[in-house]
This record gives sequence, C-alpha cells and structure tokens, in this order.
Amino acid sequence: MKKPNFAKVSPFVVDPQPIEDAFNLTPEDFAGTTMEERESIVEKHKSVSYWKDAARRFRANTVSMVALCIFILILLFAFIGPLLIPYNYEDQYRSAQELDPMKYSDSEQVVLKAAKNADAFFATVIQPGSMTAIRKGSYYIQQDGQTYAFTVTKAIEKTILVYRKDAENKLSLVKMKDIGDDGTWTESTPLEYTDTPEADAKEIKLVTGIFPHVFGTDSSGRDLMARTMFGAQVSIIIGIAAALIVLIIGSIYGSVSGLAGGVTDFVMMRIVELIYSVPEVLIVLLLQVVLKDPLQNWFDAHKTGIGGLLGDLGTGIVSIFITFALLYWVTMARIVRGQVLQLKKQEFVTAAHALGASKWRIIKRHLLPNAVGALVITTCLQIPSAIFLESFLSFLGLGVSAPMASLGSLCSDALASIEFHPHRLVFPAVTLTVIVLTLNLIGDGLRDALDPRLKK
Amino acid sequence: MLSYIVKRLLGAAGTLLLIMAITFFLMNAIPGSPFLTEKSTPQSIELANKKYGLDKPLIVQFKNYVFNYLQGDLGVSLKMQEGTPVSKIIFEQGKFEISIKLGLCALALAIVIGIPLGCIAAYRRGGWLDGFLRVITTVGVAIPTFVLATLMLVFFAVHLGWLPAKSNTLPDFKSYIMPVISLSSYYTCYIAKLTRTSMLDTINQDYIRTAKAKGVKTRSLILKHALRNSLIPVITYLGPVTAGIITGSFVVESTFQIPGLGKYFVQSVLNRDYTVIMATTVVLSALVIFMNLVVDLAYKIVDPRITLTAKED
Repeated sequence: MKKPNFAKVSPFVVDPQPIEDAFNLTPEDFAGTTMEERESIVEKHKSVSYWKDAARRFRANTVSMVALCIFILILLFAFIGPLLIPYNYEDQYRSAQELDPMKYSDSEQVVLKAAKNADAFFATVIQPGSMTAIRKGSYYIQQDGQTYAFTVTKAIEKTILVYRKDAENKLSLVKMKDIGDDGTWTESTPLEYTDTPEADAKEIKLVTGIFPHVFGTDSSGRDLMARTMFGAQVSIIIGIAAALIVLIIGSIYGSVSGLAGGVTDFVMMRIVELIYSVPEVLIVLLLQVVLKDPLQNWFDAHKTGIGGLLGDLGTGIVSIFITFALLYWVTMARIVRGQVLQLKKQEFVTAAHALGASKWRIIKRHLLPNAVGALVITTCLQIPSAIFLESFLSFLGLGVSAPMASLGSLCSDALASIEFHPHRLVFPAVTLTVIVLTLNLIGDGLRDALDPRLKK
Repeated sequence: MLSYIVKRLLGAAGTLLLIMAITFFLMNAIPGSPFLTEKSTPQSIELANKKYGLDKPLIVQFKNYVFNYLQGDLGVSLKMQEGTPVSKIIFEQGKFEISIKLGLCALALAIVIGIPLGCIAAYRRGGWLDGFLRVITTVGVAIPTFVLATLMLVFFAVHLGWLPAKSNTLPDFKSYIMPVISLSSYYTCYIAKLTRTSMLDTINQDYIRTAKAKGVKTRSLILKHALRNSLIPVITYLGPVTAGIITGSFVVESTFQIPGLGKYFVQSVLNRDYTVIMATTVVLSALVIFMNLVVDLAYKIVDPRITLTAKED
C-alpha cells in the first residue's frame, strides 16, 4: 500500500515573504484581471468530462490497452482476413484434404511450378481450389484490357489453363503431368476463344501464385484458416448480439422494477430469483433441441426480410439468442435495479424532483448517465460468457452445424482426428482463448476506468 | 434459524416445481416421439403412448409426474433402457455416484488450491509471485473446459501415455487426474482471483493493523485474522460453482467417456426419453438448489454478523 503523499509545506503558509512587505500594497495590486489571466485560470481549471476522464484512465492502463490492440487485430483477422485469402469457409477443395499447416495440395503444387515460369507465361488455375477440373459451361477471362471468352463442352480433368502474353494464341491448356519442375512444358493444346462472352459466362480470375493453406485443411478439404476466420466472426457476432439482448431486456426490467418499487418491485424480483435459481444449462440444452425444427419451419416460411436474415444465421445461433433473451438477463436486471435504487435516494435526484423536473427528465439526465458505467462494464463482461456458452453448445454438437463454423464447432470437429492432427484443435482453441482473454482484460480495464471507486 | 431453513426449503420446492413445469413443457415441445424408430408404425407408437400414459392430456401427465415424484417414483425409461426404473438407472448403475465423486473432487481441488494461491498472491502483492499467479489465473479463466480437457487428453494420454485416455468408471486414482483438473481449473483460478481481491480488502482494515501492532505474527495474522473475513465472497461464489461444475461435467464426461449423469442427460435429450430427461433435470437442479442453501447457511457460520431472517437485496 502506498503511503499518502502529504504536502511538505503546510497550506496555511502561503508565501514566506516579510510581513512588512505584505502590507506595502500599491493600487496595481487591486487592478482587475486581464483577459489572458482569466483565460489561463479557465484553462487551468478546465472541467474534464466523465468520458474523457475515463478514457484517460483506460489509456493509462497498459494491460487493457495491449488487450484492446490484440482484440482489434483479431477483429481484423476475423472480418478483413476472409477478403484477403482466396479460400472460402464452406468450399471443399479437391485433393486438398487433410493437409498440414503451410502445405499445398498436389494440384496446387503444379500451379506453383508453372508460376515459376512467369517471364513468358502466366499460369492460372481454372477454379481456385478445385484446379484439377473445369466443368461444362461458358467462361471468360479479362487480362490486359482484353476479354477472352470460351466454352467448354466436356469437363476437362487434370489440366490447367495458361495465358501467354506474347504468344499468338494466348490461351492454351496444359496437362498437369506435363509440367516439369522448372515450370516449362513441351505440349499444350491451344484453346479457341472469342472476345464477346456469352450471357451466362462465368469469370475466371487469373492467379500468379497459390496461397498456402496456412492452418491446413480438414478431412473434407476445407481451408482451416478461412474457417477459423469465419468461426471467429460468428463467435464475436454471437457474443456482441447476446450481450446487447441481455442489456436491453435486463436494463428495462431492472429499471422498471427499481423505479416502480412496492408490490411491483417485490413480484418482479421474486420472478428474477426464481429464474436465477434455475440451473440454466439444463434448460438451454433442452431449448436447443426444442427450437430447432420450429425455427427451421419458420425460416422456410419467411424467406425475405428478417426471417431470411435470421435464416442465414441458422437455427443453432438463433436459439442461442432466444436462450439469452429468456434466461441470462437476470444478472443485468439485478445490477440495474441496484443502481436505480441507490441513485433514487441521492440528493441530486431529490433536488431535481423539487425543482419540478419530470420523471422522464430525471431518468434521462440524472439516473441514466450515472448508471451507464455499470451497464457498460456488465455488457462487456457478458460478451465472453456468451462466447463461452456458444462454444460449449457447439462442442456438444448443438450449436452451429457444418458447413457453418464457430470456434466451438471447429474444436469439436477437430476431436475426431486429434491424435494425428492436433493443430486442427490448436488454431481455433487458441483464437477462442485469446478472444475471451482480451475481452476479460478490456472489461477489467473498463471497470477500473469507469468506476474508480471499485478499484483495488 | 430453523424458520429460515423451513422457508428456504419451501422456496426450493417451489423452484423445483417450476423447473419441472418448464422441463415438462419444453420436452413435450421437442418434435417427434420417443417411440419413433425405423420399424415403428403409427399403431405401435399409439400403443406405446398408451402403455406409458402419453396419450393423456398434458396437464394430466404433468400432474401424474408431480404426484409420482412426491412419492419418490421417477417412472421407467421410455427408450434408452426401456422399462428400467429411472431411479435404478440414475442411482444404482453408478451414474449419480460417478458424477458426484467427480464434482466433489473438482470442488475440493478448486477450494484447496484456489484459496491458498489467492492468499499467497495477496501476501506477496506486487512481487513476481503475485504477477506470475495473476497471469496464470487470468489465462485460466479464459480457457474453455473442453479445450483444456482435449489438450490434456492429447498430451498426457496420447503422446506421453502417462494417464489413461478413457476414464470409464473411474477405477483408480490415475483416471481421476485429468477429468478433475480440467473440470476445476476455471474455478481454481476464479477462486484464487476472488480470494486475492478480498484478502487485500481485509488486510487494509483497522483490526488487522491493531493485531499487527500488538505483535501478531504475519502467518497467524493471515491465517487466523484475515482469512475468515476474506472468505465471504468466496463462499458466495460456491453456489454458482456447483452449477458450473455440473455444466462442465457434460463436456468432461463426454471427452473422457465417463458414463456419468451429465453425459446421460445430454443423451436423454437427444433421444427424447422423457422420463429420463425429467429425472436428471430434477436431480441436478435439486443438487444446485441444495448447494445454494448450504452456502447461505455457511455464511452464518463464517460471519455471525449476517442475519438470515432479514432478507436484504
């Protein structure tokens, strides 16, 4: 414990100047202050708003700032990352099953070899990922301001499409087995093309290199890094949305109960106590099973608007939201009620009341700003607990299901081959742990910053 | 004191009734019938429904559940072990015993390790040991149970081969190690954090300074004077710990393939075995509610200042 820093000089001795000097006053000593002096006084005593003060305290907290930075990096990884890598979380890439981290599939290795020959040739994959085959249909390529359109009448297997900048016939097909280690080949089939693509033609993007499967792939050939990014996205969205649901329901219920008081308060708090003593996980597991089919039916019936939006999320996630809305708001309601009860008795509220402020104005101007710190802290700490619950349910096989991914379901999927491919568990598990860890630390920092009275 | 206990028991009965009602209506809302199999026909399902009284109105069914439970009759399993009394499945096949053993070991470990760690951290506040423990406990509360359980499984059972991978009926000491550690790690860390904070609070109080001034040795100052008062928040937390250990047991039991109550509950939900769902829910809930009551009574023993009759929010 630090000792309080007592002032070395007593505050009563203002200035140790000789006594006779102090009575030698001139008219200048009674002159009014100049504008600069006034401004400097205002500057010196500038009032710091609650939020500025809290932000300053938060910034001074190294641990929380580091946690915040790491969390922002994870947000970038989860939300920007998928745009930067050529793989998709749900596509199953051919011949890319069961790859270890930083490895390429056989067909990708061929393209890599061809790409070495970049001086004269431009190697390309026909479809990123499933490079070994091009299906029937019309396609087009845009390169150097030109459009090359062609039609495939029969699926072409184990061949890559090559664009040669300087050749007469720019597009040709080369068999993968013909490509040597230095990236050259002797045999190729020219491809006939026009410059006007057909209406239903699909664009094929040329690539010069292949991105490795940084986290490896799973047994169905899905890229694990893409899945981890997507899973992190899903987990973070679930956490934030669930925390918001809890915030809204809990704070409305709690403030109504606290403000109303009397019998209403008593009844509402008994309900909270009942819900509080229900072991929620038992009910959550039941709810997950119960809600699955009705939700799916509802989604099928409402394909547009909000139904479509929720349908994209899947029944698992939506029932997690419903669970939170039903069971998890009680802690928030208790905290808000406690805050309201505490604030209601404060003198400034009585004063505002005496001055004739309306009930709404008291809530808006006096109660809410004072309770907001507690609300922010509780909401922030609710996010990791929602992420925990989701991963727990997904781990038991009840949350999201493939091809959707969440960090919990990825961990659960990894269990099947844990003896041979432990990295499949490690990447999502570490991501999950780091997210929860940083959110906890940010929450702790917020508590210290927003409510300094609590600081130990 | 007695009137308080009676009041709480009545409240517990009310809560259990509510839980039964929620469970009953939820499980009846699960689509499909427990008797729906590949071989079943509408007639056979109807026959089975009649046999187990599922053809009656829901209210009558629920009333039957309540009355039978009051007489200690938990019914017979509808599907997973058809015809076997549920009480026999839960209590005589060792499921309850295994889960209780596992849970109590985890709870004991969390208390026995967590509280001393918290005391040490508070005592060495600001030192390297405190910093080290803070890192460990902060990371510890961020690792989900299933991650720790599976990582331990891979490392100690598969790679090193020191510990058995499948604990089954927990025959010996060795098979307890991994399930208990993975189940209790979160709570150990949380209790250590809680103890540290509340110990620091207590150490700064006047009576501790007085004791110090009177020459009480640091050791007994911490153990005798400070510990008692700093345990109150820890005891409050033991209620949620019980609920959490039951939750964790679902994961741990399925990871280490322990045939306990948690695993059986998950299976019964997936199989729609109504009577088993109801019985496991009631037994597990009763456990949590009972533990909350014990915690509230433990308060009184640790801190006589707390009056139980005046209920203050």
